[in-house]
Amino acid sequence: MTQSTRARQVGVDIQETEENRAVVEAIEADNADCAVRHMPGLVRITSPTRIVVNRESVEQRLGREWETHEFQLAIVSYFGHIAEWDDDQILIQWDH
Amino acid sequence: MAAPRKLSMKQRYAALTRDLDWDLSYVDEDTAYPYTSFEGIKIHDWSKWEDPFRLTIDAYMKYQAEKDKRLYAVLDSFAQGQGHLQLTDPSYLNAMKLFLQGVTPLEYQAHRNFAYLARFLNGPGPRFAALCQSQDELRHAQTEIHTLSNYNKYYQGFHSWNHQHDRVWYLSVPKSYFDDAVTAGPFEFLIAIGFSFEYLLTNLLFVPFMSGASFNGDLPTMTFGFSAQSDESRHMTLGLEAIKFMLEQDPDNVPIVQAWIDKWFWRGYRLLALVSQMLDYMLPRKVMSWKEAFELYFEEQMLGGLFPDLAYYGITPPRHVEHAIAEKEVLSHQVYWTLYQFSFAAGFTTTVPSEDAQKWLAEQYPQTFEKLYKPLWDKASAVVDNGGRYFYQGLPQLCQVCQVPMLFTEPGDPTTICQRHTEFEGERYDFCSDGCQWIFEREPEKYVQAWLPVHQIYQGNCGGPTVPDVLAWYKLQPGDNGEIAGNVEQTAWEAWHATSSAEEQAPAPVAGN
Amino acid sequence: MAVRSIGEYKFPSRSRQELYGDDQLVHLWWKGNLWFCAAACFRAPKAMSWNDFVAGMVNPLFSCDPDFDAATTTFTWTVDDKPVSPAGDESLEALGVGHKSLITCVAA
Repeated sequence: MTQSTRARQVGVDIQETEENRAVVEAIEADNADCAVRHMPGLVRITSPTRIVVNRESVEQRLGREWETHEFQLAIVSYFGHIAEWDDDQILIQWDH
Repeated sequence: MAAPRKLSMKQRYAALTRDLDWDLSYVDEDTAYPYTSFEGIKIHDWSKWEDPFRLTIDAYMKYQAEKDKRLYAVLDSFAQGQGHLQLTDPSYLNAMKLFLQGVTPLEYQAHRNFAYLARFLNGPGPRFAALCQSQDELRHAQTEIHTLSNYNKYYQGFHSWNHQHDRVWYLSVPKSYFDDAVTAGPFEFLIAIGFSFEYLLTNLLFVPFMSGASFNGDLPTMTFGFSAQSDESRHMTLGLEAIKFMLEQDPDNVPIVQAWIDKWFWRGYRLLALVSQMLDYMLPRKVMSWKEAFELYFEEQMLGGLFPDLAYYGITPPRHVEHAIAEKEVLSHQVYWTLYQFSFAAGFTTTVPSEDAQKWLAEQYPQTFEKLYKPLWDKASAVVDNGGRYFYQGLPQLCQVCQVPMLFTEPGDPTTICQRHTEFEGERYDFCSDGCQWIFEREPEKYVQAWLPVHQIYQGNCGGPTVPDVLAWYKLQPGDNGEIAGNVEQTAWEAWHATSSAEEQAPAPVAGN
Repeated sequence: MAVRSIGEYKFPSRSRQELYGDDQLVHLWWKGNLWFCAAACFRAPKAMSWNDFVAGMVNPLFSCDPDFDAATTTFTWTVDDKPVSPAGDESLEALGVGHKSLITCVAA
């Protein structure tokens, strides 16, 4: 099958909105190996390793408090496993 | 030390979702939860169920309310701003009609079955996750209906979708798919809908569909799509947690789960045949081809990402997946060609793809379109040039399992229709593919009951013996069906755009709505 | 493998022959002609003669293909993969056509 030759990507699709621009920027800043693709209405971020969303990074860019639950308003889809979702961080990666 | 003023997410989840549960003393567990043993799945410790979202009821309500507020703001501005005129073309709405007739009733079915899981799963974690999903699905059904009702004032074909879901031939495909799932046990349902549909395949339905709306000037649909899809991420998580939970609880669960993945991948994939043609043919302005979407959302993400993860538990990629991969070159063309011939009996309209559209198709499908399908469209165009319109004069053979007309071709041979059959208790049953035949032979007692629209028409159960009788029983109104060119919807659209007078832009009277 | 269920699980076929009286369902497939997206399904009397089947069902369907000419297009036929040479007044039943049989033709 194809998977043995490919990096095992994880990814997240985020709705393209004014507020989410800060979220996307925070993800780009905190995930050096991620790739960003703009599609109609949404932004697709993929990474060959993992994707982390840090509350502090988002808050810095938004200029206000942001709780990680708010990510529910931004996320359209993802692939990978949500390995952690706590007050400070959301982490998407494969388990095994 | 004073107690911390605010609990962490983890603590709140433990306190509000898990700690409110109690052990029953007045009945034993099997009496309270009678449906979690007959499928053969063994669960030793329900507390091992994880919810990465750590959702609590207060957070759930707060964010769902916010999602609805955002959606209704868009619906208001759409209605106030004559949004119905902003579409690329009225034929775009065929995709939305198919969605409303085919998918919205499934949201309601999902709402009902997740409500059942919210009562009948033994653990408080999965019960709460199912309760949230049950409410989400009801919200989706309602917001889809509400959003698309704005088009019902101006366009054909939005008036009887719920009625049609139960009756019209191509809608028996989604209906029977979901009937199959809700009549299974709770664990199979979790694999069927929670995992196979929500995690494995839903991106192929929703993401291209929302991007299609965004690309074709349909702001409200895009908004409800994104609003629903934000819940969908939670549903995907539930599906993935469900499968990992079952696999981790007992090694005996693995072969049972594998068989369900095999079955429900193919069931879902066949259902998505309807989406493939929507992407490649129904959208006036194209977003991506079915082939590209399949490669991106299924081959790359699922075969490349998910299945290596599940291999840890001994799970292999779904049976017959190689047929789905091979079919990506031909699927959408075969399906739309079928809808073209049968749209006299459908709740949407079809037409020969324009020159530009055919050029795009040839670019997307360099190995198949010009060789196999362009000649058919050329011939159909010639019929139109001679004053005719090709409609199939008869009813098609249907697959006993997926209920799609038997239009699919042999693996590796796109010029020969795939014919499979088997005998069960002295009766012959027909299938479109090895996948559907395999599903039947696993549980023939289930599929012999299939309500196949063609057979039902011949038994006299669909309004009468003639095509007009059946169309009346489908509640199809003039303009809902048939050819796009010259349709009332097309002529009304041209009139709206030809005039700048506000008076003349009032809604055209639409028959019978 | 049987259905796993919470009780007895036994239901009759919803397409069994007895629901069609003296008729049966018959499938007709013009193999190799993609103009027809799928084989057709007809309800036909078991005693229907081949001529009546051709005149009443085969030709009206095949006439949707502008390249078809009932007078000149000739076919070789099979019933459920067995070659047959249907004669004019032979009944479908005598030809070996059963409930949901597949009658296949290939243009000669």
